[in-house]
Amino acid sequence: MSDILKKLKDIVLEFDIDTAESTAREAIESGIDPIKAADALTEGIQIVGDKFGSGELFLPDLVCASEVLKKAFPVINAEFEKRGQETKKLGKVVIGTVFGDIHSIGKDMVATLLYAAGFEVIDLGINVKGEDFLKVVRDQDPDILAMSALLTTTSSEQKNVINGLKEAGLRDKVKVIVGGSPINQEFADSIGADGYGSTAPEGVRLVKKFLNIG
Amino acid sequence: MQNGYKRNFEPLRILSQSQVEQLHSSTLQVLDEIGFKYESEKVLKLLEKHGCRVDHENRIARIPPDLVEWAIAKTPSSFMVRARDPEKSIRLGGNTVYFMNSAGARYADVDTGEVTMPTLEQNNEGVVVSDALESVHCFPSYTPYFEIGGVPPVMSCPVSCAQRMRFSTKPSRGAQPTDSFIWETKLAQAVGAQLMGCVEGAAPLSLAEDPCNAAFYYLDAGFPIYIASGSLMGASHPITIAGATVSHNAELLAIIVMLQCIKPGCGVIANNFVSAMNMQTGDLNFGTAAISLHQMAYNQIWHDHYKIPINNTGAAFSNSKMIDYQTAAEKLPLAMCSAISGANLIVLHGGVTGELAYNPILAVIDDDIARTIGRMLESFDVTDDMIGLDVIRQVGVGGTFLNTKQTRTLWRSEDYMPKVFDKTSYQEWVAGGKKTILDKAKERTEEILSTHKPDPLTDEQEKDVESILKEATKYYKEKGLI
Repeated sequence: MSDILKKLKDIVLEFDIDTAESTAREAIESGIDPIKAADALTEGIQIVGDKFGSGELFLPDLVCASEVLKKAFPVINAEFEKRGQETKKLGKVVIGTVFGDIHSIGKDMVATLLYAAGFEVIDLGINVKGEDFLKVVRDQDPDILAMSALLTTTSSEQKNVINGLKEAGLRDKVKVIVGGSPINQEFADSIGADGYGSTAPEGVRLVKKFLNIG
Repeated sequence: MQNGYKRNFEPLRILSQSQVEQLHSSTLQVLDEIGFKYESEKVLKLLEKHGCRVDHENRIARIPPDLVEWAIAKTPSSFMVRARDPEKSIRLGGNTVYFMNSAGARYADVDTGEVTMPTLEQNNEGVVVSDALESVHCFPSYTPYFEIGGVPPVMSCPVSCAQRMRFSTKPSRGAQPTDSFIWETKLAQAVGAQLMGCVEGAAPLSLAEDPCNAAFYYLDAGFPIYIASGSLMGASHPITIAGATVSHNAELLAIIVMLQCIKPGCGVIANNFVSAMNMQTGDLNFGTAAISLHQMAYNQIWHDHYKIPINNTGAAFSNSKMIDYQTAAEKLPLAMCSAISGANLIVLHGGVTGELAYNPILAVIDDDIARTIGRMLESFDVTDDMIGLDVIRQVGVGGTFLNTKQTRTLWRSEDYMPKVFDKTSYQEWVAGGKKTILDKAKERTEEILSTHKPDPLTDEQEKDVESILKEATKYYKEKGLI
C-alpha cells in the first residue's frame, strides 16, 4: 500500500476528522486512482466496525470514524464524477425516526453502521412526516426504508407510513424494516413490515439479507 | 394536603458560588448566541414581542439575558397541585421533598425477569398499590405502564390517565404527545383535579410542536407545568458534566421563558432527566456517578440561585433486569443525593429493567427506601427535652434506657422501621421459612390489593370519564390513528 493510501486508512483508524478532507484532497492531487482511495477508507472503517463489534472500540469511536468518511468521501466522489466513473455502493437505504418522535440515537447507530458497511444512507432525521418518507421513496428509489420509533405512542406511525406506501403504489418497490424500543417481531408483522431488528447490528444484517449481501 | 418530607437542614452544595455564576452566565450566553428552536410560529411571534431575536425560517429564537432573568423571577418558588381528594394535594417547592411513582413499558415478572404486555387489570393494580403507599405522593403521565394490552397506542395516555383518576386520589402529571393533553385535561377537570401539565423539550435546544400546543392548553386550564428535556450525556448533551449542566439549564430556561410569556407567574417544576450513555450500545445507563453529580449541581443552581421547584428522575430506573442488589445500588445513592441536595420531587417507585418494565412489588420495596430517606431529611431536634439529661442521669452508669418512658414514647418517631426489609434474627428467619425481601414485598402487595379500596369516582364523574374516552377514540379514529 502506497504512503498516501496508508495515510487515508490511518485517518479513519485515528479518527482524525480535522485532516480528513485535506488528506483526501492530497490523495487525489497525487494522482491516485479514486477507487483505491475509496477502498483505503472503506478498509479503515471496516476495521473500526469489527473492533466496535468485538467490544474493543466504542460508539464515539465508530461515529467519529464515520465522520472522517463523511469529510473525505465528497472529495473522492468529486474525482469519480470528473472521471465519469460510478461510485461503488452496496445499496441505498432511507432512514428516519417517525413523526411525533424525537429520539435519534438508535436511528443514528443504524445509519452509521450502514454507512460504515458501504451503503448509501439517506438520513431524514427525527420527527419525519409520513409524506416526507413517501416523497423520498418515490424520488430516490431506495432499496430499503428503515423507520425507528422509541415511543409506544408513535410506533403506530410506522404502520401509517406502510399504509401510505401501499396507497401510493410504492410498497413493492422497497423493503421496509422497523426498530425501536416498543417494537417487536409481532408488531412488525402486524403492520406489514418486511423485517425487524432489535439492535443496530441486527438492522445491518437485515439490510444485507434483503439485498443478498453475504 | 400531603406534607411530604421537610428537609430540615441546608442542602448539600457541591459548587462554589463562582462556579454557579459561571454555569449560569454560560447558560445565558447559549440562549443569547445560539438560541432555542420552537416548532411553533405562535410561540415565536410571542417571543418576538418580548424582545427575542427570531429567525422564522429556522424557527430559532435568540433570547436576551434580561428576558431569561425576568422569566426566572416570574416563576414562583412554590405552587399547589390540587388532587381529586384535597387531602392528597401537594405543594411543590421550598424545602419540601415528595416522591413520584416511576413507570415502565411492560410488566416485569419479578421471579423470571421476563417482561410482558400488561393487562388493564395489572395496570389498575399498579395504581391501587401506589395509591396505598404512603411515600408515593403523585404520579407521572402514562403510569405505571406506558402500554396496556388491548389499548391502541394513541389511546395509551388518555386511558392511563383515566385509570389513575379512577384508582387513585393522588395528583398526576399530564402527557403531551399526539394531542393527549386535550383528553387528560378534560379527565382531570371532570374529577375536580389539576394536572401538572407536561412540556418536554428535545435536546439539544429544541421544542417540538406538540409540547408548544400542550403549554397553551394546560396553562389555559389553570394547571401548573412540569417541564423536562430528557437527554444523554455524550449524545444530545455534552459528555462533560459542566457542559451538560449548561445545555440542560439552557433548554429548561428556554421553556420557562415561553411559559412565563404565555402566562406570567405560572407555577413550574423543572425536571432533571439527564442520563449517561452505554458507549457500546447507545442505551441509557442508569445510576451512575455522572448522573448524580449532574443532578446535585443542577439542584444547587435551581434551588439556591433560581428558586424554582425541581424534580429529579435519575433514581427512577435501574439497568438491572431483576429486583436485586444492583437495583438498590443504582437507585438508592441517586435518590439520597437528590434528597439532600435540594430536589423537591424525586421519581423512584417501581421501575426496573431500564425504562422497559415496572412491577408494584418493587414500588413496595421503594416505599421503605423513600420513607427511610424522608426520615433522614427530617433530621432530629436538639432541645433540652430531646437531649433528656434527666433521663441520662436517672439511668446513670450501667443501667438501661429500655424501661424509660422516653424510649417507649419516642422510638417510633426517632427512626423509621422498614416494613419489608428483613430485620429478624437468623433463627427467626429460618423458622419463618427463610423469607427474602421479595417474598415479604409480595405479601405486602397482596395485602394492599385485598384491603386498600381507593375512593371511587361518583357516578357522574365515572360517566364523564367514559364519555371523554369515547370522544378521544372518535377523534383519533377520524385522524386515522386508530
